[in-house]
Amino acid sequence: MTLTYVLMQNLKRNRLRTALTLVAFALPMGIFVLAISFVVAMVQLAQQSEKQLRLAVHHKTTLTNLLPAGMRRKIEALDPDRSRLRAVCGMRWFGGRVPDTQNTLTSLAADADTFPIVYSDVGMTEDEIELWNRERTAAVVGTGPADTYGWKVGDRVVLESTVPPYLTLEFKIVKVISNPERSNFFYFRLDYLNESREAVGASSARCNIFWTKCNSAEGMRSLQAQIDKTFANTPDETKSEDENAFAASFTQANGNLPGLMQAMAIVVVFIVTLVAGNTMMMSFRERTCELAIFKAIGFQRGRIFVIVLAESVMLSFVGSLCGVIPTSLGLLYFPLTLTRLGPLPRLEVSFSAVIASIVIAVAVGFASGLWPAFQSMRLKPADALRKIA
Amino acid sequence: MGLPISYHWRNLLVRKTTTLLTLLVVAVVVGVFTWMMGFASSLTRSLAVASDETKLLILKRGATAESNSAIPIEDFNRLNQLSAIVRDEDNIPLLSPEMMAQVSLPRARDGGATFANVAVRGVTAAAFKVHRNVKLLGKGFTTGRREVIVGQAAAKQFAGLNVGDTIGLGYGSDRGYKVVGHFSAGGGPMESEIWGYLPSLMNAYNRKTYSCASLRLSDDADSAAAIERIRGPAIQLEAKTERQYWQAQSAGIRRYLTVAYALVAIMSVAAIFSIANTMFSTVAGRTREVAMLRTIGYSQWRILTGFVFESILLTTVGGIVGCLACVAWLSLVGNTKDMFGATNFTTLAFEIRVTPAIVLWSLLSVVAVGVIGSLIPALRAARTPVVSALRAP
Repeated sequence: MTLTYVLMQNLKRNRLRTALTLVAFALPMGIFVLAISFVVAMVQLAQQSEKQLRLAVHHKTTLTNLLPAGMRRKIEALDPDRSRLRAVCGMRWFGGRVPDTQNTLTSLAADADTFPIVYSDVGMTEDEIELWNRERTAAVVGTGPADTYGWKVGDRVVLESTVPPYLTLEFKIVKVISNPERSNFFYFRLDYLNESREAVGASSARCNIFWTKCNSAEGMRSLQAQIDKTFANTPDETKSEDENAFAASFTQANGNLPGLMQAMAIVVVFIVTLVAGNTMMMSFRERTCELAIFKAIGFQRGRIFVIVLAESVMLSFVGSLCGVIPTSLGLLYFPLTLTRLGPLPRLEVSFSAVIASIVIAVAVGFASGLWPAFQSMRLKPADALRKIA
Repeated sequence: MGLPISYHWRNLLVRKTTTLLTLLVVAVVVGVFTWMMGFASSLTRSLAVASDETKLLILKRGATAESNSAIPIEDFNRLNQLSAIVRDEDNIPLLSPEMMAQVSLPRARDGGATFANVAVRGVTAAAFKVHRNVKLLGKGFTTGRREVIVGQAAAKQFAGLNVGDTIGLGYGSDRGYKVVGHFSAGGGPMESEIWGYLPSLMNAYNRKTYSCASLRLSDDADSAAAIERIRGPAIQLEAKTERQYWQAQSAGIRRYLTVAYALVAIMSVAAIFSIANTMFSTVAGRTREVAMLRTIGYSQWRILTGFVFESILLTTVGGIVGCLACVAWLSLVGNTKDMFGATNFTTLAFEIRVTPAIVLWSLLSVVAVGVIGSLIPALRAARTPVVSALRAP
């Protein structure tokens, strides 16, 4: 009689209970895999942006206070031999939206000369860079808006700004960004914005933020301190942050969805542990007699322990599969868009999240089976057989 | 006669471990549910305050929020021709020019590790007449001095806003404004703001235009007609009722809540299955007992309601534990939360509170969960074939 055989017979015996436990296990595990995918994606995003070695230099008071465009030269002058700093790209918020729609796009005007260097992760080819340099109205857009509005390379698109002086500008798309980390953005040339602003008599030559690309992490840290020190006690006091800290302030402001997901993951682990534990306790209670007989006919303590524990692990394993597989398949075909909730454009289940969920489920099964297994091991056949279930 | 409560109570106590484990599942789900409800109701309460249909918010055309609007003073003056505006005792229209700026302040709840963008609103005396629910708690600002008043939600959630503190405002954050008092706004979004005297703040932020304006319509005025008039050729500005404005601003927060609710709903279904599991096991273990009860005269209906009641007893206790845990969590870990509006780039501070209504809702839902989870097991118990069950070993 193999262990698997006993296991399957036991699970099959009370089919109703097995089914109920599986559902009660599968639903929270579905949430778990979602939550973990989210957390994994956030970590990957953070690692990616850490590699980019970009420093966000913005006004200390708030991001909406503008800094003079000349500050770029001052930042560059801090490292004349370019040992720490590679390039600085000034950006100004445009806040454009497609006419007659409500959603404001993350649209930014960027210094044309340094944008391809500072945002090398946008992945512009030589030809695209040439087009970007040549075409005054050039725009580089992420797949998010491109998919939503059906834009493709070569299209002329119009955006109206939601910030003073509320310009309406036409752009020519020169690239659709495939990098998922940049998929919600719309970049265009700052000189085009400045000319258009001057045409309506608005002041120009100001930026919300200077993205400073550095050569090394150490260089970045020393520049960060140096930049803030240089502009301290001037009207344009700055605050420099690395890209992750910068993104984190937005995540916090948008309600900290990653925090919610982490909390949910913890709650779920707690719930499934209780569910599995409960089932195992019930099974154990009903089978006290049977286990006693096993013992009486010579099964060793260790064997009994393994039988009970394996059942719990098996149940959790199957339960997690029932939750994880449908959720993953569902998300594969219907990705959840999170465009307006955080830095992630959409939620996709990652392989590592699936593995993590299953491993955790098995661990939960192990933990919740321990106590019943321990009790079965300690059973005294004579007493147990005498007891009426 | 129904089965006595003590019968059910003792039955739950007999199977201590199972009862405890099921109870904890329910408690965890209810705890999370209560937290969500507390959050949702704070938001609803806050927005309910900001839904005055006779108050119009005026923005520049193309702007989406007060903070990205810029209204030149001559544009603002055109609003005076609007006949539907209420006038005060001195025959001055209730029309408030306002300026919006932001200041980055450390959050109190994490000891200043993260910063929030807090709205700074420049106002004149008119603002206190237009925004009727704004009540000073203490002193107001003096126009000749660098003084501000702070909404009580902001004062609680962001560091350095106590009365007597000085905060750096202005374009370079280099002008010290003294906090002289706090104000309430009936729990509305304005409680997350800092208010100062308009000309002084415009000077500090190098502004030559107002950001936005708000005005009060007479009670019998047609707000839609007034909005049309403001959009029309004579004034050429954008107007929204306060309700429209905040509904749009809170879209993101409501989306966040939807995600949270969906997750809690899934967990509640899991809790139902977990209860069903426990109840099935209870019923199976007591087949002979049920047959006995039937023999001594309890009807099928009594047996059915008895088991449902037992489940309700179990889930209600779980629900109470969950609610208490949530209250404990909020008071120990903190109940403050703040979120950006959709486009205004400023934060709306909340306090998550568990009100009696929320507790009632949580407990009602938990009773529903208990009933749904136990219905089928209870039916099975009620249908126990008496003779064969009694004969069974």
